[in-house]
Amino acid sequence: MVSLPGATPFEVVAIWTVLVIAFFGLAYALFLRRQVMACDKGTEKMQDVWDGIRLGANAYLKRQLRTIVPLIFVFTVILFLSVYVVPPTEESKLRFVGYSDESLKLVIGFGRAVAFIMGAVFSLLVGQFGMRMAVQANVRVASASRRSFGEALKIAYRAGTVTGMLTDGLGLLGGTMIFIIFGVASPDTLLGFGFGGTLLALFMRVGGGIYTKAADVGADLVGKVEAGLPEDDERNAAVIADLVGDNVGDCAGMAADIFESYEVTIVSTLILGVVLFTQTHQLSWIIFPLLVRGIGVLSSIIGTYLVKGNKNDKTNNALKSINKGFYSSAAISIVAFGILSYFYLHDWRSFLSVVVGIVLAIVLDEITKHFTDGTFHPVKDIAKNAKTGSATLLLKGLSYGFEVAVWQTLVIALTIFASVMIYYGQPVVYVLYGVAMTGIGMLTLTGNNVAMDAFGPIADNANGIGELSHLDKDARKIMDSLDATGNTTKAITKGVAIGSAVIAAVALFGSFITDVSKVQIQLGFEKSAQLIETGIRINVPIIFIGFLIGGTIPWLFSSLTINAVTRAAAQIVEEVRRQFRIPGIIERTVKPDYQRAVDICTVSAQRELVPLALIAVVSPILIGALLGVEALGGFLAGVILSGQLLAVFMASAGGAWDNAKKTIEDGLYGGKGSDAHHAAVVGDTVGDPLKDTAGPALNPMIKVINLVSLLAAPVIIAYQKPGHASLGMFITGVFCLAIIIGAITFSKRGGFKKEVFEQ
Amino acid sequence: MSKFIYLTATPEALIASMLPPAEFGAYLSTGTKKRNKGQAIFFEVDLGKIEKLIDMDGLNKRCVAKADGKPKSSVYLSVYKTLEMIPLPALKSLYLTTDNGYTLELKKETYDTSKEVLGKLHLFQELCPVTPLVASELTPSAFMKKLTDGSIPIVLPKLFFVDLKLGELATNPLNGSVEHLPYSNVGHLRDCLEILKGEYEKHMKTVQRVYSGSLLYRTIETGFYVGSKDEIYYYHYPSLTELENINYEFFRSI
Repeated sequence: MVSLPGATPFEVVAIWTVLVIAFFGLAYALFLRRQVMACDKGTEKMQDVWDGIRLGANAYLKRQLRTIVPLIFVFTVILFLSVYVVPPTEESKLRFVGYSDESLKLVIGFGRAVAFIMGAVFSLLVGQFGMRMAVQANVRVASASRRSFGEALKIAYRAGTVTGMLTDGLGLLGGTMIFIIFGVASPDTLLGFGFGGTLLALFMRVGGGIYTKAADVGADLVGKVEAGLPEDDERNAAVIADLVGDNVGDCAGMAADIFESYEVTIVSTLILGVVLFTQTHQLSWIIFPLLVRGIGVLSSIIGTYLVKGNKNDKTNNALKSINKGFYSSAAISIVAFGILSYFYLHDWRSFLSVVVGIVLAIVLDEITKHFTDGTFHPVKDIAKNAKTGSATLLLKGLSYGFEVAVWQTLVIALTIFASVMIYYGQPVVYVLYGVAMTGIGMLTLTGNNVAMDAFGPIADNANGIGELSHLDKDARKIMDSLDATGNTTKAITKGVAIGSAVIAAVALFGSFITDVSKVQIQLGFEKSAQLIETGIRINVPIIFIGFLIGGTIPWLFSSLTINAVTRAAAQIVEEVRRQFRIPGIIERTVKPDYQRAVDICTVSAQRELVPLALIAVVSPILIGALLGVEALGGFLAGVILSGQLLAVFMASAGGAWDNAKKTIEDGLYGGKGSDAHHAAVVGDTVGDPLKDTAGPALNPMIKVINLVSLLAAPVIIAYQKPGHASLGMFITGVFCLAIIIGAITFSKRGGFKKEVFEQ
Repeated sequence: MSKFIYLTATPEALIASMLPPAEFGAYLSTGTKKRNKGQAIFFEVDLGKIEKLIDMDGLNKRCVAKADGKPKSSVYLSVYKTLEMIPLPALKSLYLTTDNGYTLELKKETYDTSKEVLGKLHLFQELCPVTPLVASELTPSAFMKKLTDGSIPIVLPKLFFVDLKLGELATNPLNGSVEHLPYSNVGHLRDCLEILKGEYEKHMKTVQRVYSGSLLYRTIETGFYVGSKDEIYYYHYPSLTELENINYEFFRSI
């Protein structure tokens, strides 16, 4: 089955070993799952609370499937048929020698469609399975906290690791399998795989973000602010929706987000690797990144297994233990990459790119931590400004949010410059390959990163269960400590997710340029007209227009997602108020209807998915159809720059406001109830949808736009040659514009029916 | 079911209830049909020591379990000059409830004036029967005496107040850091304290005439004082570290 022309015996063994490692990663996830599931679920009261969360989570996941599956079907058909518009590449003809044109189209079309389904299903699996695991774990963590800190930490982290290893295992499995089957023809199908994963991640990120913040803001505004109830009070009808929302946003959404970055970096690396392979006939350009990923999976297994607390310890520092696992994995990976480079590549350049990626992940972590952690100056400064009211607090947060976006972008620029230096004097495709390898390096420790992220909602939910089931003081202290650690790990992984999204997008941008050029060569374009030669000429007005419009897309997307959260939160507010008026709820004699709030969040979140996804999918086609492929390149550059700046700004400002509030709640400037606290609550409420809805949704959005551009570019080139106006393209453009206007209208009103909007 | 008598500070009232202190605190702060919210500060009163002061028959008739068997939450016995009426020895523990409904018990102690530090400025929040926020150069015992012994025109029969944190302002009102003080209008507070440090003899200065109804528990310096003239009872407020171990839920919600 495997087709690797010119492969050495080591390379053949290596590629199969990578496949075995992918399965090993999945087996490890199952092994950990069994360990977690074997733990006890605590008292009847705890299980009663947990049951509400479990049912809410199931309802959301079921409804999400109902919305997504038809779209998967539609896109599968489109991807299958796409091969009849753009013929398979020369590499495909090389791989499938002897196939007639029609048979080849069928094979590639089928491969692309199956790869799309595989990407989508894997992404869905990571999100859905990861979220179900988190829900299963939270009650067990709450129960274990009655016994020891170490046990609670171990269960929470290992349950998070299940999601992490699923991300690792499935990401590696998909890319490797496609490569084994399609060999040098894999770029034709890898795009489908990447697109499937990214589109699903967009759905899960957007849906999760809207759900979690609608529930959170709604529950807090009425429960805490109006009625003066404590956090996670059983009388608050939105309390279960809030707990479910933590899983939906930070577990399902984040896992799918990192999964698609993981997937997309391997897709872009393999596409660029194949280009280099055709030029140099060295298979190592393709095998090395897969081996790096394999080593990453193994080092994550070792590192994550090291995370455990002392069984008898009641005051251990969870972050110390988690960091120990992370840095152990990083050290093992770097040493293994060095050995591999020395004995296999006999060349240090790819190794250096990967190490730059690991360093980038650590630097981005540190920058995020510096600007969003309560122990550093910026958050303390924001908290201090709460003394003069919410206006100054907001202004200070905005100021730091803007600043952190500058530093993170500069670090990424420096990383790309490192690739330029590593491949100094080589053609641009080498530099782009270096950037893609940086992305591979950055996501080497995906297992650890996703585990750290999923740990957050598990600990948070465990704390909620502890509160609602009135666990004793010692257990609550343990859960509070785990919850606080979870908040830090969540913030850190957000930085990595955004950084990796940008690196992946830059790598895809590189793939766009090489792919477009390949098609241009196939269609007989003169060398001087090929994109790889001309570059994206930003000084040309039409291309600059593309760049400008690209820059607006993240803003439009953020506007619509924040609008959706506001609308859904208002519905939750009304529902919680309505239920408070029901006799007996405040007196605790009547149980609120938690399911109603869960349903409102679920329906609101799913309703917003389609218009937002349409904007991401259709906007690059619109630009390509009306302005041409080079303007589409400018459009992509605009999306990447504007998306990166905005995503980092929103995530960091929101995180900083959140921690400024927590700092004040810990006793600074009078603690809870003080004027400073009231100001900080305003900051946190404003920041919440920024950091948990709009900001994170930009990561998959950037990549969906890049992948659609990659898929659409050959069609645009084929039907819109320079100097030839195409009526078909014009009509396509107008049609796309109509779709976008419709999507914006739908999204702004919450539907086309006026009464829905008024509700 | 037992009967409890409580003296709430703000607003001042004597209330009979069948709820024990923690439940009564939660009832006052969050658990009413009217959806009241807000913190509560109240004493438990020894019923045996006030039997002659109240209508016991009326109390026994009104403070009974409801038809469904649930305990009676509150029966108001008095809302005017209540602290004045209750003998100080009848006051038992003091209870502080957060607006989330968590209650902390503070035990009654006889106040040891020998431990007072002289030469520092103080910020006293009076809680009953009047409620201004007052800056003073007097120690808590001297402040109590000054307001209750009749030596000045404004006299109170009894007084209940709390000593609040002033940080560096206690010794350096003009330039001391106000970094962690949550008080609004700090400039005015500095002015008031500065006047007390001034040349002419002034022992007290009103900082705020109207009590907001909400005490920031984290700003309590030493504790609560209730008394009259030389008879002072003290309720020590634990440090935050102590509080975390004594009553974790209360600690989390302040």
